[in-house]
Amino acid sequence: MEVLEYDFMQRALLASLMVGLVAPAVGVFLVQRRLSLLGDGLGHVALTGVAIGVLTSTAPVGTALVAAVLGAVLIELVRARGRTSGDVALAVLFYGGIAGGVVLLSLAPRGQATNLEAYLFGAITTTTTADVAVFGVITVVVLGVVWLLGSRLYAVSDDEEYARAVGLPVLALNVVLAALVAATVVLSMRVVGLLLISALMIVPSAVAQQLARSFRQTVYLACAIGLVTSVAGTTASYYTGTPSGGTIVLLAIGLFLLATAVVALREATARRRHRRRAEVHAAHPHEHGAGCGHPAVPHGDHVDYHHDGHLHAPHRTGAGVHYDEHGEHAAPPAGTGGRA
Amino acid sequence: MSAVRLRGARIGYGDVAVVQGVDLTVADGEAVAVLGSNGSGKTTLARGLLGLATVLGGEVEVLGAPVGRPRERGRIGYVPQRHTVSGAVPATVREVVGVGRLARLGPFGRLRPADRAAVQDAVAAVGLADRLGDPVASLSGGQQRRVLVARALAAEPELLVMDEPTAGVDAASQDALAAVLADVSATGTTLLVVTHETAALAGVLTRAVVVDHGRIAYDGPLAGAAADAGAGGHHHPEGTGLPPSRGYRQDQPRVTTDGGR
Repeated sequence: MEVLEYDFMQRALLASLMVGLVAPAVGVFLVQRRLSLLGDGLGHVALTGVAIGVLTSTAPVGTALVAAVLGAVLIELVRARGRTSGDVALAVLFYGGIAGGVVLLSLAPRGQATNLEAYLFGAITTTTTADVAVFGVITVVVLGVVWLLGSRLYAVSDDEEYARAVGLPVLALNVVLAALVAATVVLSMRVVGLLLISALMIVPSAVAQQLARSFRQTVYLACAIGLVTSVAGTTASYYTGTPSGGTIVLLAIGLFLLATAVVALREATARRRHRRRAEVHAAHPHEHGAGCGHPAVPHGDHVDYHHDGHLHAPHRTGAGVHYDEHGEHAAPPAGTGGRA
Repeated sequence: MSAVRLRGARIGYGDVAVVQGVDLTVADGEAVAVLGSNGSGKTTLARGLLGLATVLGGEVEVLGAPVGRPRERGRIGYVPQRHTVSGAVPATVREVVGVGRLARLGPFGRLRPADRAAVQDAVAAVGLADRLGDPVASLSGGQQRRVLVARALAAEPELLVMDEPTAGVDAASQDALAAVLADVSATGTTLLVVTHETAALAGVLTRAVVVDHGRIAYDGPLAGAAADAGAGGHHHPEGTGLPPSRGYRQDQPRVTTDGGR
């Protein structure tokens, strides 16, 4: 493939592969915790780190990592002290980070490469071999921690109060998650840019959670979606000449809209079918119950009644009782007094 | 050793004490109802034991260690008042209940076969064995509450704290819960159930602690508390809209009311 002939594109694709895999693996926990914008806030803080790197002539990736991790730990400590102020703490971090970054970058001596746009929107083709090596280390560390602590991070993200009550180390786990987000932000900085990082963490997860049945499935599916959109977006951007970050995110959002439409359609069909069946039996002459003549069939937490070859589950709504169809079942055992 | 020991305890949120001057000792294996009207402080008292409300003064010891200090993990089970399992991302019954085992495993331990078996047993105990692999969101409200009970049971706790486990749950599920708690109690687990109504669990809970205006107003046999309540000793200032559970049971003998499906 032509796209693979250039070294810079090989590095770009390698970087996008790592980002696509890592960002959703961390993002699923943020979605579960309803803290989807944490990545955004830390992206802004990372900009301050980048500026410090530029000013001190240190590698911006390193200083961005330090700034983002510090910001992450700080916000968790603030949240732990007064849990309602998490939202405001995020906002302060958000604006403080970007303001600090812009002001510090403006102080950089003339002639210094201060391409703000490259950090804000990504500049994947400028990825150096050294960057790829750093990204590789971050990828291995982040995925390793998620593998090791995933079930605990899930527990804390799902029900922090319960986790606290039974003695799980909630603060430590929250700090670990925030640090993972910070590392992911820095990893994604080159590929999608600081302004779009959150999208790559959140959108694949938003697609996956509509299709998956379990948390584990959601994580795997989100990673797969992230990987495919990230690599496909980077490749597409090479041919179309569009920025990689925006292309990747638009691709992911397209998938999200598609999944949402499919799920909505499926639910509408199921609802229509449910209504049609409910109408058939709306004119029930009696309420099912002990001695109504229809054999009772225990089914999970309730009792169904066998009626005309199918099972009716009494289901009380505001409008009175109606009957849900609970599937075709075998004919009732003989002698149960059925008149079905 | 006593499972719970409070001496002059003040418990609240921020600087505001909701519960004051409480002395209470619960022996290992006791089954205690914590009763009281809305706003009486009964939930705050329970949350203080779990480290979810702040101990502002006095002594609060749970399973031999002061609350807030690191203790041996996985010895406490908790069923929150919340009616349903929340969470934006889908999770199966197995995954949610599996969390109940985590606290026992140390910081990096993974679920072993014995843990998976405990999860299965806990889910079976609440009557959801056939839903183990289903997403929790596909369950009815009453079933989701039972998942939270199973999560606490999976921990095989020494102390099980439940906050209003019977509120908004249909009669059949209340009876099922009573049976589960009787089994748990028989294994020596200490039960502490915060509740409005004791009718459904009267066969399991033996002792009642009535909290009123942040203080203990009655501590003795459950039967005595019920009589006390009947005589107006434990009031329901805002509780007029709540049907007594017995009447609820007779009104709707055949219909499951734990939400649509």
